Amino acid sequence: MSTTTPPRERPRGAAGRARTTTARTHGAGGTGGAATTGSRHNQRWLAWIFLAPTILGMGLFTLIPIVASVVLAFFRWDIISAPTFVGFNNFSEVVQDPTVRVSFLNTIVFVVVAVALQLGLALALAVMVQEKMPAWLRVFFRSAFFFPLILSAASVSIFMRYLFNEQFGVVNWFLSLVGIPAVPWLTTPGGSAAVVILVYVWQNFGFSFLLFIGGLASIPVETYEAAAIDGATGWRKHLHVTLPLLSPTTLVASVMAIISALQVFDQPYVLTRGGPGDSTRTAVMVIFESAFQRLEFGQASAIGVLLTLIIMAITAAQFRLSKRFVFYQ
Amino acid sequence: MTTTTDRGLAGHSPRLSQGLPVTTPNRKKFNWSFAVRTLLLLLAAALTLGPVLWTLSTSLRSPSESFKLPPSFIPWNPDFTSYGEVFKQLNIFLLVLNSALVTGIIAVGQMVSSALAGYAFAHLKFRGRGALFSIVLATMMVPVQVTIVPVFMLIRGMGLSDTLLALILPAIPTAFGTFLMRQYFMGLPAELAEAASIDGASPWRTFRSVYAPLAMPGMAIVGILAFNFHWNEFFRPLILTISEQNFTLPLGLVSLQGNLGTGSISVVLAGVVLSMIPALVVFIFGQRALQDGLTAGTGK
Amino acid sequence: MTGAIDGHLREITRRTALGALGAGIIGATVASWPRLSGTDIPGRGDDSLSIAIMGTAADAAARQRAIDAFTRLHPEIRVKVQAIQAVDWKDFFTKILTMVAAGTPPDVVYVATEGAQLFAEKLAHPLDEYIRRDAADMREFFDDVHPSLVEAFMYKGSLYQLPMDWNAANMYYNTAAFAQAGLDRPADDWTHTDFRNSLAAMRKARTSDFTPYYWTNRLFGGVVPWLYANDTSFLKETKSAGGDWLWDGFYANDPSRSLRSGGYQWLEPNANDDRVFESFDYLRGLVKDGLGVRPEEGGGSSLVGLFASNRIGTTPAGGYWVQGLHEAGMGANDFDVQFFPRWKTQRHQFGTAGYAIMKTAKDKDAAWEWIKFSSSREAMELIFPNPITTPARRSMVNEQLYAGKGPAHWKVFYDTLDRFPTTGPIPAPPQQAAVETALMKNVSLAVSGDEQQLKQALASMQRDLELALRRQS
Repeated sequence: MSTTTPPRERPRGAAGRARTTTARTHGAGGTGGAATTGSRHNQRWLAWIFLAPTILGMGLFTLIPIVASVVLAFFRWDIISAPTFVGFNNFSEVVQDPTVRVSFLNTIVFVVVAVALQLGLALALAVMVQEKMPAWLRVFFRSAFFFPLILSAASVSIFMRYLFNEQFGVVNWFLSLVGIPAVPWLTTPGGSAAVVILVYVWQNFGFSFLLFIGGLASIPVETYEAAAIDGATGWRKHLHVTLPLLSPTTLVASVMAIISALQVFDQPYVLTRGGPGDSTRTAVMVIFESAFQRLEFGQASAIGVLLTLIIMAITAAQFRLSKRFVFYQ
Repeated sequence: MTTTTDRGLAGHSPRLSQGLPVTTPNRKKFNWSFAVRTLLLLLAAALTLGPVLWTLSTSLRSPSESFKLPPSFIPWNPDFTSYGEVFKQLNIFLLVLNSALVTGIIAVGQMVSSALAGYAFAHLKFRGRGALFSIVLATMMVPVQVTIVPVFMLIRGMGLSDTLLALILPAIPTAFGTFLMRQYFMGLPAELAEAASIDGASPWRTFRSVYAPLAMPGMAIVGILAFNFHWNEFFRPLILTISEQNFTLPLGLVSLQGNLGTGSISVVLAGVVLSMIPALVVFIFGQRALQDGLTAGTGK
Repeated sequence: MTGAIDGHLREITRRTALGALGAGIIGATVASWPRLSGTDIPGRGDDSLSIAIMGTAADAAARQRAIDAFTRLHPEIRVKVQAIQAVDWKDFFTKILTMVAAGTPPDVVYVATEGAQLFAEKLAHPLDEYIRRDAADMREFFDDVHPSLVEAFMYKGSLYQLPMDWNAANMYYNTAAFAQAGLDRPADDWTHTDFRNSLAAMRKARTSDFTPYYWTNRLFGGVVPWLYANDTSFLKETKSAGGDWLWDGFYANDPSRSLRSGGYQWLEPNANDDRVFESFDYLRGLVKDGLGVRPEEGGGSSLVGLFASNRIGTTPAGGYWVQGLHEAGMGANDFDVQFFPRWKTQRHQFGTAGYAIMKTAKDKDAAWEWIKFSSSREAMELIFPNPITTPARRSMVNEQLYAGKGPAHWKVFYDTLDRFPTTGPIPAPPQQAAVETALMKNVSLAVSGDEQQLKQALASMQRDLELALRRQS
C-alpha cells in the first residue's frame, strides 16, 4: 500500500468519507442525539469556544475589511491627507478609465483561454494516464504533472522569462530547429499574452488533472463495457460515456479554475509588468497599481468591489447552468 | 448530454481498477494505441519538467556561459560559483528562516483553528450553524487583493506594520481548512460520539479523546496545503513587508534580479533552485497528502 | 494481551511526542518573537535618524564607513541606514509610499530624478534655509558640481536635494564588434545617421547571435535620449521662475548661469508632436531592419551579461555601467563610450540622485547634518570607491576611478554636462508613477509594429499622459 497504486476509488480522503456518512449522521438526529439537555448546553458553549479563533479572525481580517473596502470605494483617500466623500465618483471614473476597462477585458480573455486550455489539457492527459499502462509509468506521469504545483509562481515566472527571451531564449531556439523564425514573445501584445497564459497553464493544469483522475476513477467499468456492446469504442466511448459521467468533476474543476484565474497576479507582474501596452494588465494588477503605486485607495477599492461582484456573478451562473448540464450519477 | 446508464447499478459496481495489470490477453501485435499515448504523455512530461531541468543546469554554469545555446538540460560539469554568489547577495538563511517561521506558524495555526471550527460545524449543535458555515464558505470567493487595503490599515493600527506577524495573523483563520476539517469530521462514524456519551463523557472529552486523535490525518492535509500555499505566496509579502530583513523567499528571489536588472541569470536561477528545495521535500514526502488535500472537498 | 499493552505504550509515546511537539512549537514561537515582531532589526522604533536607500543589505553595509565617520563628527546623532530592495526607482518609491501609509516613514530618503518632484510636492522639506545658513561651508560643494545637476532638484524655486551621483545616457559600444565591422571610434559629433550606418555595418559583420543596438534596462532610458537629441520630449517642458538665491549665490560666474531657473515643469503631454513621431519612427526602423531588438517590459534581462559576452554592439548607458562590466569580465579596452549621437541637437538625458528630508522627519537639523556631511568629498569617496555610478563632484571623476577598468574615454561622462549645458533630467512630474506607466506601456507597441501601430501607440500615449497629469499625485 504505497503510492504505487492509484486510488481505486475517487473518494479518498476526507470528502469521500463525508459522502458515505453524512446521511447516517443526520439519520441519528445529529451527534449525541441521545444526549441530555445539559450536554446540549455544554455543546453550545463548546461550539462557540471552538469557533472563536476562526470566527473572530475571519471577522477581523476578512469580513470587516470587505465592509471597509465597500465604504472606502466612496471616498477619495491617499492616506497622507484626510479622506473625502465622493459618492459614486470613483465608480464612474473607474468605469471610464481605459486602462481599467482593458484590464477587465484582458482578465476575461485570460480566464476563458487559460481555463479552456487548462481543463482540456488536464482532461486529455488524465484520460490517457488512466488507460492501461505499467503502474510505475503512471506514477511517474502523475508526479511529473503534479510537480509545477509546488513551485512558487514568482520563481516559475523568473525562469520562464529567460526561456521566452526573443534572442537568446531556449523556446525560440527549439522553434528555430523546425524552421520557425524567432517569436517576439515578451515584446508584442499577442506574444506576451500567450506567454502569461502558457506559464499559468503550465503551472496549474496539474490541479485539474488530479481532479479528473479522481473523477475518472469513480466511473464504473460496467458503463464502458455496456457502451462497448453498443459499439462505442475509442474516442466515441469518451464522448458518450466519459464526458457525461465526468460532468460533476468538470463543474468543480471549472469553478475552481475560474476563481483562481480571475485573480491572476504573480505571473503577469513578474513576467511583463502588464505590458507591452496594457496587453497583459489584469484586474488585480490594476488594483495593486492604483492602491500602492499611486495611493488612490478609494479607486482601488472601487475596482475591487467590481471584481468581486463579477466573480460572484460568474460563480452563481455556473451553478445555475450546472443544474441543466451536469449529469449526476 | 444524456446517457442511458442504469444509475442504481452504477452506484454499486466495482470501480475501474487501472492500477492492476489487467492486460489484454496475449496480443503479440505491436500496441499502437499504447505507443502513441505514451509518446504524447512523455512529450507532456518533458514540457513540464524540461524548464525545471534547464533552470537547474543553467544555475550550475558559470555566469558567462549562462546564455549558452544550444541549451543543455543536464549539468555535466557543475560549477557552483553562482550558488556562492547567491549567498553573498542574499541573506538566504534569513529568508529561509522568515519563510519557515511564517509558513510553519500559519500551518500549525490553521491546523488547530480549522480542526476546532470544523469539529464544531460537524458535530456540535448550535443555533445559526448553517448560516455561519455558509458565510465562512462565501469568503473564499473574495480575492485577497480586494481586502488588502483595509487589512493593511488594520495591521498599521495594531502596530504590526512591516513585521512577520502581519503576514501570519490574517492567514490563520482559514475558510478552506475549516471546510476540509468539517468534511473530515463528518466522515468519522457518529457511533463513536454516541458510545462516548453513553459512557457519560462530556462533549469536550468526546472531542479530546475520541475525535481529535482520529483527526490527525485531516489536520496533516490542512497543514501541508497551508505550507505549500504560503511558502510560495508572493502578493501579501510584497505589500506587507518592506524591510529586507522581513522578506520571505519568493520576494528575495525576485529582488535577486537586481536593481535595474543587473542581476546575472545563473545567479538568479541558483536562487530559484535553492528556494525549490523545501518544496521538493514536501513533494517527495507529502505528495500523497497534498494531492488528497487539493482534491478533497471537491466531491459533490 | 501484548497487543493491548503495545497499544497502551503506543498511546503513551504518542502523547509524549505530541506534548513535546506542542511545547516545541510554543517554545520556538516565543524564542522567535523578536523576529516575528521585527524588534530585532537594529534601530527599529528608536529615535535614530533613519535613512532609506534603494539597494540591498550589502549596499547598506557599504555605507558603514561613511556612517562611522559621521558619528565621529556628530556623536549625538545616531544613524541607521535602511536598504529597500526594488527592481527600479518606481518600485522603490512605491515602497516608500507604503512606509508612509504604514505610518513608519523614514526621515531621509535617497531619491532619484524620477521621484524628485513627487517628493518635493508631497513628502519632502526644502533645504533652502539650511543652505543659506551654511553657505560658507557649501560653496566648495557647488563649485565642484555642475549646475545642470543641481537644477534637476529645484522645484518651484526651492532646492530639495543635493546631487550625490548621476548618470547621463551616453553610448557604450563593444570595441571588438566595431573593429570586426571595420569601424573606427565614432566622432564626438556623430549623427543619428552615422549611428544607424554603424549598426548596419555591425549587422553585416555578424549576422546571428548578436544585436547591434540593445535597449537599456528601463524603457525611457532607451527612448527619451532620442527625443532630447531631436529637441523634443513626450511632455511639454517649461521652467518656473525663481531660484535666483541659489544661482546668484553659488553660480553667478558660471557660463550657463542664464539657463538656470526655479525648476523644470512638465504640465502638458507632447506625444502628438511631429518630432516625437520622427524619433519613434527612427527607432521603429532600427527594430524593423534587425538592427535593434524590440524593447521588453518588466526590466531585468541581464543586459550586462549580454554586453559582456559580446552579443551586443551598442547600448545607451551612463558611468554606472563600468563596474558591472568589469565584474562581468570585460577588459578596460573591450568597450568604450561616446557622446549620444547628434540629431537636431546633442542634448543628453541624465538622471541624478540625492538625499531628501521628509516633512515628517523628527529631527530635521540632524537630517541636514547628514546631507551636508554626505556632500563632503571625504564622505563621497567613502561611498563611491568604485565606478558603480558617476559621482556628482567633477573632481572625483578622474583617472584613478577608472584605472584598470576603462573605458578609455571616461572623460566623456562629465564632459557631457560641460559640452552640452542644456542637457536635462528625466522628465518626471509629481505624477511620475502614472506618467512613467503611460510612457512605458506604449513604447514597445510604438516601435515594434507598422506605422499605423506607431500612430495608434502615440495617440494612446498622449491620452494616457493626459489622464496621468490630471491625477493628484
